[in-house]
This record gives sequence, C-alpha cells and structure tokens, in this order.
Amino acid sequence: MDVHSRDYRARARQIIEETPEVREAVNAATQTFVDNRQKAFADLDGTALSRWAERVKSHALSHLADYLEEAEARLVERGAHVHWAETASDVHQIFECIVREQGVKKAVKAKSMLSEEIGLNPFLESCGVEVFETDLGEYIIQLLGEPPSHIVGPSIHKSLDDTRVIFHERLGTPRDASPERLAEAARDLLRDAFLTADLGISGGNFLVAETGSIALIENEGNIRLSTSVPRIHIALVGIEKVLPKWADLPTFLQVTAKSATGQPVGCFVSMIQGPGGSPGDEPDGPEELHVVLVDNGRSRLLADPEAWEALRCVRCGACLNICPVYRQTGGHAYGYVYSGPIGGILGPGLVGLEETLPLPFASSACGACADVCPVRIPIPDLLHVWRQRAVERGLTSDVERSVLGLLTSTATRPRLFGWAEKAAGLLPAPVLRHLPMLREWSAGREPPRLEGPTFRELWDEGIE
Amino acid sequence: MSDERVSKRARARILGRVREANQEREPVEHPGTLPDALEPPGPFGDAGRSDPVGAFEDRLRAAGGEVVRLADEAAARKWLEEFAREFESVSVGVGVPDTLQPALPKAQPSEAALGVSVAVGASAQTGSLVLSSKEGRRSQLLPPVHLIWVRAGDVHTTLGDALQACREDLPATLALHSGPSKSADIGQILVTGVHGPGRIIAAVLLGPRP
Amino acid sequence: MRVSLFVTCLGDRFFADAAADAVRLLRSLDVDVDFPKNQTCCGQPAWNAGHIPQAREMAAHTAAVFADSDYVVLPSGSCAAMLRCTYPRLLEAPVVAERSYELAEFLVDVLEITELGSGLEGRRLAYHHGCHALRELEVEEQPVRLLESAGAKIVPWEMDQECCGFGGLFAVKAPEVSIAMADRKLDTLPDVETVVSADGGCLLQLEGRARRRGVPIPFRPLASLLWEARSGRA
Ligand code: SF4
Repeated sequence: MDVHSRDYRARARQIIEETPEVREAVNAATQTFVDNRQKAFADLDGTALSRWAERVKSHALSHLADYLEEAEARLVERGAHVHWAETASDVHQIFECIVREQGVKKAVKAKSMLSEEIGLNPFLESCGVEVFETDLGEYIIQLLGEPPSHIVGPSIHKSLDDTRVIFHERLGTPRDASPERLAEAARDLLRDAFLTADLGISGGNFLVAETGSIALIENEGNIRLSTSVPRIHIALVGIEKVLPKWADLPTFLQVTAKSATGQPVGCFVSMIQGPGGSPGDEPDGPEELHVVLVDNGRSRLLADPEAWEALRCVRCGACLNICPVYRQTGGHAYGYVYSGPIGGILGPGLVGLEETLPLPFASSACGACADVCPVRIPIPDLLHVWRQRAVERGLTSDVERSVLGLLTSTATRPRLFGWAEKAAGLLPAPVLRHLPMLREWSAGREPPRLEGPTFRELWDEGIE
Repeated sequence: MSDERVSKRARARILGRVREANQEREPVEHPGTLPDALEPPGPFGDAGRSDPVGAFEDRLRAAGGEVVRLADEAAARKWLEEFAREFESVSVGVGVPDTLQPALPKAQPSEAALGVSVAVGASAQTGSLVLSSKEGRRSQLLPPVHLIWVRAGDVHTTLGDALQACREDLPATLALHSGPSKSADIGQILVTGVHGPGRIIAAVLLGPRP
Repeated sequence: MRVSLFVTCLGDRFFADAAADAVRLLRSLDVDVDFPKNQTCCGQPAWNAGHIPQAREMAAHTAAVFADSDYVVLPSGSCAAMLRCTYPRLLEAPVVAERSYELAEFLVDVLEITELGSGLEGRRLAYHHGCHALRELEVEEQPVRLLESAGAKIVPWEMDQECCGFGGLFAVKAPEVSIAMADRKLDTLPDVETVVSADGGCLLQLEGRARRRGVPIPFRPLASLLWEARSGRA
C-alpha cells in the first residue's frame, strides 16, 4: 500500500471539519472497546500478565532465527509449503506462481493487516483473481474502496446508514434495511464465495515454533471458513509473530482478545498445523497449505537498538482505542496501514522515517497508550526516539528549529530571559497573531493573555 | 526468477539479517509458565476450580451460547429427540456416536439445518469448546445451528489445560468455539450468525464415560 | 524548611498571580521560599519536539540553578515530571531530579498536609489531570484531596484524565486535532463554576478554546485555588 503520511494534517483537518460523523463513530466505537477492555482486566493482575507477555515476546525475538527454522520444520513435516518473502514484491511473486499453477480464479480473504501492508488485493486482481474480503467490516470498506481505519475494527468509522447506502447500491437491499438484514445479505453473497473459491487467504496472529501452529482469533467465523473450505489456503505471517511454545499460546490468545475487545478469547480460534483433506487423513480441509513468512522491514527494525521493541506488538488495537489523537480522526488521517500510536512507531521502523513523517509527531505525548499495551511496548518513548532522529536528520521545519534555538539561547541567559518574558507582554496582539506558530494557535483558540507583570516583577516588588 | 528461488534467497537473507541483528542483543530468557502466585484467583480470574462445568456454562452463556446438562446417555437421547424436532436435516461430524446422532435426514453441511459435533475438550476459563478437524470442519461451520457434545470430564479449568491435553495429537486444525458467530461491524450494532453458526449449543454429558 | 520555587516559563509569564499564591501558601505553612533568579525554562518544549542538545542545555542550566536547593517545588505538573523523569536521561548526575515536586504532591507527600483550611466551602469545581502529572509523577489523588478537604465539591467528569490536546508543539503542528481534543473536554464538562489544573499548558489550551467558543467558565491554576482554600480569600 502506498504511504500518504505527509498529508496527515490536511487529512485530519478534512475529517474533523468535513465529516464530523466519522469522529463521532470512531469516538463511540473506541469508547466501547476501552470500557470492555477495562472490565475484562478489572479483576486480574494485568501488570503481571503484561510483564510475562513482554518477556515471552522479547525472548522469541531475541532467538528469532532459531524459532523461525523450528516453525518451518514442523510445518514442512505436516505437509505445508513454507515460503519466505523479503519484500512486498516477493510476496506478489509467490502468489502469482501459486495462482497461475493452480488456475485460481476466486479467492476468499480473511482480515490481514499484513496483506494491506503489501497491497495484496490490487495485485491479485491484476492477476485476474476475484478477491472477496469476508470479514464483514473489511467487506464493507472493500465495497467502498477504502483502506481499514482500525486494526481490529476496519469499518469503525462507518455508521449503520453508510452501510445501508452501499449495500442498497451494490447488493440491492432495501434502503432502510435492519443490521440483521444487511448481515444476511453479505452472508448469502459471501457464503457462495466460500463454497466456490479455489483459494482462502488469511493472516496469522501467532506462529508457535514448537508445533508450527498458526493461530488466528476472530468473531464471525470467516477465518475458519476461509482456512477450511477452499482447496488451497495461504497464510501470510510476519516473521515477528513467533511464540516459542504451545504452552505460551493460551495466555497470548486471552491477553490479545481481552486487550482488543474485552472478550475472554474471541468466538472462534483456529490453530492450524498443516493441510487437511486428502494428504492428511481428514475428511475435509484444504489440500494445500502455504505459509508465507514475510519480512518487509521487520529484520531491519529488529536490528534497531531502540525501536525494535515495536516488534512485540500483537495488533490488539488497545493503544488506538485509548489514544485521544486517534479518536478525533480514525485511521485514515495517518495515510498508512497502521495508524495511531503503534503506527507512529511501526511506520518509521518498517517503511522509513522520511516516508512516514509526521507520524511520530502525530501524538500529544499524553502517555495513555503505554498503560494499556499488553506487551509493554514503551510507545511514548519510541515515538520520542523517532522525533529525535527526525531532528538529527534535519527533517523537521526550519521555523521550529529557529524558535527552539531562540528559546535555548535565551533560556541559558537568565537576564535576557527575564527581559524577554517581560517584553512579550508589550507586543501588540495583532503582531503576535501573525508570528509563526501563534498563527496556528490563534486559528481556533484565543491567544494567552500577556498583560500584567511577570512573576519576577511580583517577586521583586515583594509578595505579601 | 522462479517462486522457489525467490523464496530460497529470501530465506537466507532474512535469517542472516535476523541473526546479525540479534548478535549484539542480550538474549532474553523465557519467563516460563505464569507464576503460580497468580492463581487463584489467577491471571484470568478464578475459573471455578471447584466447579469447572458451572464456570464453563457461565462463560459460554455470557457469550451468547446455550448449555444443557444431561445426567446420562439416556437423558441425552431423550433430550436430543425433543431438540431435533425443530430441524429438517442434519450434518454429523465423523466420530459422533450413533446414539448421539439425531434421527433426521442427512444433508450436505452446506444444506443442513443442524450440525452435530463432539468436542475433544473444553475450557471453563474462556467458555470454549475444543474441536478437531479430524471430525470434518464443514459440519462445524456451515449449518446455522451447531450442537456440540462434550463430556463433563473433558471440561478443563483453564484454556492452558485444555490445549495441553491436545498437545500430543494435534489435528490439521484445532479450533475453539466460544460463542455464536457475531459482528459489530455494521454501525457498531451486534448481529449474530454472520458467517459461522448463529446458535451454538453445548450439551454436557455428566455421566461416566461409557 | 526551605524550598526553591521554580515558577517555570509559562508560570512566570502567564500565571504570575498563581505563582505568587503558591509562595503565600507555602509561607503560611512555615516554609521558607526562595526564588533563584537565574531560573528560566526547564527545556520541556525542546525535549518534547526531539531537540535533544537544546533540551540538555536548558536542563543543565536548570540543574545548576537549583544545585543547592533542598526541595524544588513547581506549580506545574509537566515541568515537575520533566525534572524528575526526563533529566536523568539528559544529565549525568541530576540530583535535582529526586528533589523536585509538583506543588500539591509536595504538600501531601512531603509536608504530609491533609487539610489546608475551609476556604472552598460550597464551591463546585472540575479537576483536569495533566497527562504528565498523572502518568509520569503518578499524582492523582493529592490535588483532589486538598481541594475537597477545604469544602469544594469536585464534580465527576468522565474526561478528567483525558489529554486536553496541548502537547507542546503538537498544539500548533496539528492544530485541528489539538482543538478537536479540547472540544471533547469542553463538550463533556459537567456543571461547574471553575475548572482547575496544575498545568499551565493545559490551562492555556482549554481556556483559549473555551474563550473562542464563548464558554464562560474560568480555568484556573491549582496554586490559586489551594491558596483560596487556605486563606479563604478569592
Ligand atoms: S502497540 Fe501494544 S497496544 Fe498497540 S496494538 Fe500493539 S500490542 Fe496492542
């Protein structure tokens, strides 16, 4: 997927000013997630859990190569094909070979952020494959031609009425159809796709090295269907998804579901060890299982002495839900698959800092995300690391640099500083309004009152 | 370049970069299992050590599932006869004993009104039934209503115990079903029965294993 | 006991009266207050924007100014957090870090004060928790308890711990988002006569937005309310 982060401010403004309903929908949905998460952790020792989860993921990452080889060996033993891809175009080539050789015409796809990262749908379509997103939220935005707005709830920015309109146009449902009726229409259409598709595509929440298991959490059943009904299943798995042991999985399944939606574990979980059907001794299931292990910037991020911790992320979305910046716009403002706090640290790490600016700055540094991350990623610190690097590499604005330079040189000269504080109060308001930064301030806020003495003056006069 | 050559080259380069990245890093120890000190009430709350079936029932009901407890096989058969009345056809998983199959015409999973499975286990902690792909997945997924038999003795307290019990003989896919299929993707309004079964009934067999 | 007041740059310029109230309050509690004249800015704006050398220069300056102080008390949560939590990352031996306190925190945790007076009898207030006081200093109950002990009713506010949208340069780099955040705070405000906060930046943000929207509620620094609590003088 192309990155459009540069336009963050303009897109954010547009969403806030022109589509206030998006802000309302995102606020309502994230608040529900936040409340449910809080309830789910209310009686638990959340700190102990997140400390444990942090260490398991850090351990897995610090032994990543061995664990990847172990997972590969287990999968191959069970008859799966394991592919490795460094980049999006590697993934494309792997898919192209499979769909050509097998004559794939129709694919059903379960939600996968990694597939968004590498622009899989447009590529498959260019190969003549019809792709059906089967997660209801993904299906809605696929009809609308939009990218996901949230890593867990891709369509949280859409209202009931938005869905009514597009379903009316595309599926012929009544303009005032109930949510149940809309869901039924989507189910009927997608049920047919499940039964006739040659290929099912999924992501993977976890890859267990010890057993080669790909674990997936969901609520609708579309992942189970995508990975069970078509003849071929391809799972796209980021190399950072590794868990060492089968015994680690139950806790991660629960921690992830609770953090994401507050559910104990999600309505359906799939743990896939190999193909089913004829090569195995099972009555059905895909005859071929392909697992594509994708790097796409991850190994480079792993080498980063500070920013690597972002790789622990389990994509629960808790940091988005709690983020007051994210909540004003939803994910589209960020111009990158991963939005919100995690997007601000994954973007620069996976794609590059220059390409994803100003995402690390799209945060008020309130720190709320650090409190909810189930794998204790120090998100505010990492945002700050990327800010530092942006400054060091000269990627921030000249105005900002001069203003802060001026502040520093006055702040280290106390007399000058005292004088400047006093002098600021003498500047006429119209001048102030036109100074850079104050202009942005004044566009929606009254400027601070500058009249009256400074504290220094009060102190010198004597405080009674 | 062929798909295999791409993959082989990528494999070498990825593993090489990963190893190099980790060379400088202090390896982190695996913390082992979650310390016992966290239980009870345990990291996920007291899942009802004394009454796993009761806890299982509470959790599954909370997620929108239905639960019946049946004292023995005779009671089960009687209940099944009554239950089956509202359906016209059934698709039954491999391994469901004859005695626990409803007397309904068999149909393809995609056509059947009811799917019947036997769970290989259950977890009280999460209200989950553990299903194996060995019995066939379509009857678990395609019919709109899913009846799942589970023996009380197979209801484990924690999800960890339930999964550990399957560790030695993992099927192609092991699945957890913990409630009816649902979605809130349409305007944040909850609807059930989206793709998977919209009704899930756990029938718990309390008697001793025959 | 002697404490040094670090008024902070915003406090000096925009909240001089409140800083004077902090001095009055501390003196009334038998604390000697001094005001090292060479103090300037803690460096937070530069740090926050990622300008490390500049932040370090200001931190070094500030650490030197307060090198001999037993306690440094700040009427600002985020600047106190800067000294306590960030200086150790910028300076080699930041002794000033462990001696720095936000005002309410100092009163409750160091002076062990539980009541100041009864000067806020019958007042209906809302309290805005600045993010850094709350999450870095973990100051949550102290200011609320002090205000309540003087008779104020702190009216529950569902958004009281949510960021106001100030965020230093964030306020001018993403002004539309910043303002939308302030609006969320204002839109959920309960029926109160005054909103109180220990953070100058938050007050400028919320007050600036409220005035622009014509919301007639005053936004006031905690130090002033605490002095009213003690003195009964508004
Ligand atoms: S960074 Fe943490 S909170 Fe955010 S999505 Fe990843 S795991 Fe969840």
